[in-house]
Amino acid sequence: MSGPLLEVRNLARSYPRVQAVRDLSFAMERGQITGFVGPNGAGKTTTMRIAATLDVPDSGDVFIEGQSVLVEPRACRNRIGYMSDQFHPYPNLDILEYLDFFARAHGLAGKRRLDTVRSVASFCGLLGFADRPATGLSKGMGQRLHLAKTLLHDPALLILDEPASGLDPRARIEFRALLKELAAAGKGILISSHILPELGEMCDSVVVIERGRRVVSGTIAEIQKSVQHEQAVAMRVLGDAAMAERFLLTWPGVGQLAVDGQRIRFPFAGDEPALGELLAQLVASGVRVVEFARTEANLEDIFLSTTKGNLQ
Amino acid sequence: MTSLEANPSAAGVPPATFPLAPTRWTKWSDRLNPILVREVQQAVKGRVFTLTVWVALLITVVIAVATANSFDARGGAGRDAFNAGMATLMPLVLFVVPMQAYQSMRIELRGGIVEQLLLSRLLPMRILYGKLLAAMVQFTLYVSVLAPLLATSYLLRGVDLPTIVVSLVFALIGCITATAFAVSSAAQAVLPALQAIANLATAFGLGLASFLFVGAAVSGQYSAMVSYLVREPEFAMVMVAILLLAGTVVTLSLLVAQSFLLHAFENKSTGFRILLFTLPVLAFGWVLAFAGPSARDEFTAALTMVLLVTGIVFAVFMVTEQGELSPRMRAHVPTRAGLALLAAPFLPGRDRGLLCFLGYLVWLAGLAWFCWSGTTRRQWIAEMMGIAALTAVYAIGWLAFGRWLRGRLPAGLQGNHLGRFLLPMSFLLVLLLPVLVDLFLRGEVHNWHYGHVLNPFWTIEQVDRMNTWQEAWLPAAIVTGVLLLLHARVLVGAVREVVAAGAALAQRRRSAP
Ligand SMILES: Nc1ncnc2c1ncn2[C@@H]1O[C@H](COP(=O)(O)OP(=O)(O)OP(=O)(O)O)[C@@H](O)[C@H]1O
Ligand SMILES: [Mg+2]
Repeated sequence: MSGPLLEVRNLARSYPRVQAVRDLSFAMERGQITGFVGPNGAGKTTTMRIAATLDVPDSGDVFIEGQSVLVEPRACRNRIGYMSDQFHPYPNLDILEYLDFFARAHGLAGKRRLDTVRSVASFCGLLGFADRPATGLSKGMGQRLHLAKTLLHDPALLILDEPASGLDPRARIEFRALLKELAAAGKGILISSHILPELGEMCDSVVVIERGRRVVSGTIAEIQKSVQHEQAVAMRVLGDAAMAERFLLTWPGVGQLAVDGQRIRFPFAGDEPALGELLAQLVASGVRVVEFARTEANLEDIFLSTTKGNLQ
Repeated sequence: MTSLEANPSAAGVPPATFPLAPTRWTKWSDRLNPILVREVQQAVKGRVFTLTVWVALLITVVIAVATANSFDARGGAGRDAFNAGMATLMPLVLFVVPMQAYQSMRIELRGGIVEQLLLSRLLPMRILYGKLLAAMVQFTLYVSVLAPLLATSYLLRGVDLPTIVVSLVFALIGCITATAFAVSSAAQAVLPALQAIANLATAFGLGLASFLFVGAAVSGQYSAMVSYLVREPEFAMVMVAILLLAGTVVTLSLLVAQSFLLHAFENKSTGFRILLFTLPVLAFGWVLAFAGPSARDEFTAALTMVLLVTGIVFAVFMVTEQGELSPRMRAHVPTRAGLALLAAPFLPGRDRGLLCFLGYLVWLAGLAWFCWSGTTRRQWIAEMMGIAALTAVYAIGWLAFGRWLRGRLPAGLQGNHLGRFLLPMSFLLVLLLPVLVDLFLRGEVHNWHYGHVLNPFWTIEQVDRMNTWQEAWLPAAIVTGVLLLLHARVLVGAVREVVAAGAALAQRRRSAP
């Protein structure tokens, strides 16, 4: 009954042709939002499914409040709310019936069930849609319903696999607010996403994995500090960014470039004189620089500087 | 005002559609299986169900009108109405209802909905029961649609009440069995490779069954048979046999379906093994209860053979399981050494599977002996027992090979499935190879020779035909002895693992505060 809310210990899981997860370990506490980041095929879904008792590892274990998911899957299931990356509702049920059914399945009865269903629906903004068929909902409404279903049994740990994919910007902001509210209520949330700026805004800590291995983990501040020796530089140029790109690629100390139209970001290893020299040479070579600033590394920089982009 | 209606939550009151207080239905349905509640809700909204109810109603009316027009005092019209009613009911309960259950299970599996269900408090068995309950509700509904027709046929003196009741009971048994079968084949479709086969086999099997029953019902054979049966003294015997058989099929189907839904480390074996050990008790119990002294030994001999073959089929699955106890099983074994010892053959693991089969042979032989009256001395009964004994020896040998083979395959479910495929295949190969050699070397397959000694069918037939039982006993006993000696360590190790896990568990419990 003791121990961190979620502890992944030396987890390994292989499929016939790939080693999806290798020797992965991390932990998280109640009230924490942990971002789970990695390139496609890094093993995020695999890890989350094992933690949610839906798959078994080759070796290693996952503990929910000290209880092993391999030894006590039933007890662990009651504490976990797992939202998979796909949502498939039942045909011929409306939203109310859908939630009511899962509430029954979680053993809720009588007034308590009605209250739970109503409050969860209200929390997820579904109150006005009780009689909508659960199939054929828009992506965002589907995600809301999926989250509502996940919250019904008041789990201590939420495992959310790309919950925000396909949401419109407003829905995304609302969703973020919902998650923050849940974390404030003491739940732990492990969330995977490819939308890094968004994760950066709500997560207390991140775990970055690549090819099944953990590359970095810790609170965002800690990681920022650890990659701080390579400060990030953000700049904007007029006209063609390709010229600036070519120049930067040859310059010592410049890390992986992230080019977005006229904007370029890159980690830079070097002191201030070196940076001044870089800017001077850049301008001298004919690049028309209109913005040039040092920034703190954000999650995207962390991601780019720690992962190699190797897919599997 | 309109804007408030368009966005009801803006008015501060939740819309009436999310109920505030429990209604009588809510309170009452709390006691029901959630799956049942949902299936009924879905059925009411679904098209297939509504359509079939309307079609059934329509047919009822048509038959009723036709019967009224051809009324005759001897009850011929009544019988026709009954037959037509049964012919309508059969495809509904043997095909439509099970296929609905099949479909709903498939939808759940395909969408990964079943994973969401498994994460709830619903255990797999409860989910499966829910499906059977839903089938029963549908059955009741169809019967009530046809009830006026059945009542008419009774009033027209076409059929008597016992025939109607027994016919309906049979239909219910058939419906539940077919639904359990359908649900289990849907669950097997968890494995993509089996999906197409499962689809086809289920639709074909259920279609064929309902086709045959419709034929029998329309021609009047079904009602004739039932009304004959209810008057015979053997009625109870047949009824109990049917119930036992149906019960076995349903239990087996549910266990199979459950094994696909359970967590990978959950115990999937014990249910099957206990079912296997229960079968001889039921079968011989039935013999003792119903068979007269003259027929008792014949039944016993025949059932021993059937139960032996059943046991071998079960054992093929038992000896191709994973090797060791899963972490979950290790944490849930009996802590008392004696209890652990007793439980060991029933716990998962292929070594314990072999032990379980050996135990089953002893259990089966013991119960058969108990059931034996010794009053009849027919030649074929003695032969049957000889055949059973030799079959058991062959089974031990082949199953031991299966266990060894599984050990050479990769760990995990895939390996289990591969083992279950390779064991019968190697058996077939060993059957065929000597035949092929004969064919190439001598140009014909004629006589049994020692190259065929691994082929149980031919060898046993040879022993029986030449009546060389006396010569066969010794080699059979020696082979059994050698096999047991070779596996002594495996069998002891299989028990020891359980006892050790129990001891470790007890130790941990003691040291924990
Ligand atoms: N059922 C499976 N059979 C075989 N390989 C699998 C299976 N599931 C996952 N994999 C492989 O395991 C690796 C990790 O997959 P996983 O789905 O965990 O990645 P992910 O981090 O969730 O990726 P994404 O960001 O694309 O969702 C991939 O290479 C994938 O091909
Ligand atoms: Mg994924």
